[in-house]
Amino acid sequence: MIIFKNVSKLYQSDVIALKNVNLHIKPKEFISIVGRSGTGKTTLVKTLIAEEIPTSGKVIIGGWDITNIKPAEVPVLRRQIGVVFQDFKLLGKKTVFENVAFALEVCGTDRSKILEIVPQVLKIVSLTGKEDRYPIQLSGGEQQRVAIARSLVHRPKILIADEPTGNLDSFNTQEIMELLLKINEFGTTVVLVTHNREVVNSINKRVITLDNGTVVSDQKVGKYLI
Amino acid sequence: MFITSLYRITIFAWQSFWRNFWLSLVTITIIILTFISVNFLIIINISTDAAINIVKDKVDVSVYFKPEVAEPQVNEVKTYLSSLTQVKEIGYVSQQEALENFRQTHRNDSDIIESLAELKDNPIGATLQIKAKNIESYPEIMQVLDNSKYNDLILDKNFEDHKVYIEKIQSLSANIRKVGLILSGTFFLIALLIVFNTIRVAIYTHRHEIGVMKLVGATNWFIRAPFLVEAVFYGIIACVASIVIVYPILNFIQPYLNNFFLSQDFNVISYFNQNFFKIFGLELLVVILLNIISSSIAIRRYLRV
Repeated sequence: MIIFKNVSKLYQSDVIALKNVNLHIKPKEFISIVGRSGTGKTTLVKTLIAEEIPTSGKVIIGGWDITNIKPAEVPVLRRQIGVVFQDFKLLGKKTVFENVAFALEVCGTDRSKILEIVPQVLKIVSLTGKEDRYPIQLSGGEQQRVAIARSLVHRPKILIADEPTGNLDSFNTQEIMELLLKINEFGTTVVLVTHNREVVNSINKRVITLDNGTVVSDQKVGKYLI
Repeated sequence: MFITSLYRITIFAWQSFWRNFWLSLVTITIIILTFISVNFLIIINISTDAAINIVKDKVDVSVYFKPEVAEPQVNEVKTYLSSLTQVKEIGYVSQQEALENFRQTHRNDSDIIESLAELKDNPIGATLQIKAKNIESYPEIMQVLDNSKYNDLILDKNFEDHKVYIEKIQSLSANIRKVGLILSGTFFLIALLIVFNTIRVAIYTHRHEIGVMKLVGATNWFIRAPFLVEAVFYGIIACVASIVIVYPILNFIQPYLNNFFLSQDFNVISYFNQNFFKIFGLELLVVILLNIISSSIAIRRYLRV
């Protein structure tokens, strides 16, 4: 369960990014957060992964109040939340396998465990056979799938996808959305941040609409409003 | 898990070292210069100490008696001086020996030799050569002699020349040490700044990896540690390189030192061999410590985790 209790975030004391946001996201839910650019969607994501601390209010994840999380606890939180971004954030000098394995390596996972987990997640994202390719040798959709595979290696309870289809054509967008829905079916809560109207309207899931930092709409089976 | 992480941190540090190879090379070169300047200072120190010891060993005070002073009186003075605790040994040069020595010294000066031949009596008095246990005791011994009843028997004493000689060596070595210290200090400072900058650039070069590391939940120490290890690498590599450079230099200067000291006793190479771990171990520790401090500041300043 993810809870936002009256969360506000101000930058430089007068720029309001979030204003009294109240949200309850149930486990295994698939929600889309939509809104125009600059409405606070990314700030919302950043507060979830403790990259930003709310100015006021509380953020609680699985009963854990992360509002004033200690720096040493941040890595623990981030291993429980997978994140993918529009720009993939892959390392160009590493292969597909190495990019995914990197997430486990830096957390001290044994080599034997890495050799067991990485092929599993690559299979989930349908990249088996492309382990030795470099990001530049992959299509945009494939690169995003590598990023999703990397976000899954810690078996997170929550997957946040911040504009995951922003750089993709409609075919690859469709593929990524199917993958996110599949991951959700496995039991992972998926938080999709997007302003892609077609994507949101096609999946028939809960839609939260943000405007000027406030939640203006929260529909169980929603459509893109703005 | 700890060993695995340590291994990976070392690998990441090594990769970073090679990724900015030229910058790493410059950093190492400066640290090598620091090592060499410190070792130069050590060579200066031990050489001047050796020089001073050799001079000290050769120092004695010659007490010249008036020609009319007879041998029993000189022996009395010798006995009196021998009773002093500061005195190590006393050599006696009789009037006849002193005359012979004088003749030998001036054998090419016909005027002096002829003048001596014309004289009926021996114009040169006996001499006592006093060696003190400690060089600082000479003024004390001289004072005792001045204040004794034997003062009237003495024509001259020659301590002052040695004193000036030792003071000159000490002042010269102090000046060289000062220059060496300034040089080493400057190199240390430059090395600190260069290490700081290298780590700063390394952090910049790795910004994508750092971003991904943070994203996937790497601990703060895991993100920071490779940069510290990289700084330690610089110290170790520079230390090994400086050993490889310093020994041929020692081999080169050893014959010159032998010539200077007119002896084979002083061997700078064996000094470095005997104190190898003390010299290079301590230097390595200090450099590693300084590198860690410098890179820590760079990490704190530029690496936001």
